[in-house]
Amino acid sequence: MTKAPARKPKKKVCTFCKEGVDYVDYKDTNLLRKFISDRGKIRARRVTGNCAQHQRDVATAIKNSREMALLPYTNVAR
Amino acid sequence: MRHYELMVLLDPDIEERTVEPSLDQFLNVVRQDGGTVQKIDVWGRRRLAYEIRKKSEGIYAVIDLVANPQTVKELDRQLNLNENVLRTKLIRPDAR
Repeated sequence: MTKAPARKPKKKVCTFCKEGVDYVDYKDTNLLRKFISDRGKIRARRVTGNCAQHQRDVATAIKNSREMALLPYTNVAR
Repeated sequence: MRHYELMVLLDPDIEERTVEPSLDQFLNVVRQDGGTVQKIDVWGRRRLAYEIRKKSEGIYAVIDLVANPQTVKELDRQLNLNENVLRTKLIRPDAR
């Protein structure tokens, strides 16, 4: 049988670059929640589609946010 | 002089309306040193993502200020000595 055709990944554009964000605020938990899994882990870049710079900014913001107990370090599995 | 953003997480057992005056007292150290306090934003009680000192709530406050690095360091030190302060976070939003 023929192999399934290789899937062409859709190229995602970094949402922050698109909006021209230059500072990711650690206080904006609603925004940051989009970048963590339901376990509380930071989503990988291949999932979020962020560029390297913005992914790093998001990660730092999430970590700052965790320190202030705005976001969880872990969430128990449901 | 630099612009700083200071987030303070306070004990939920204190009265919410005493928060602003007591923070103001801490901020005197900034004013005495020629700095300015631009904004005090008390978020009020919020649920914590995890327990800190057996407490599941906290009072958040965000302060915008302009001050010298040493002054701000001293302010942070004094805040952390206070028992009612659970956490502080000092950030320079324009550093980059």
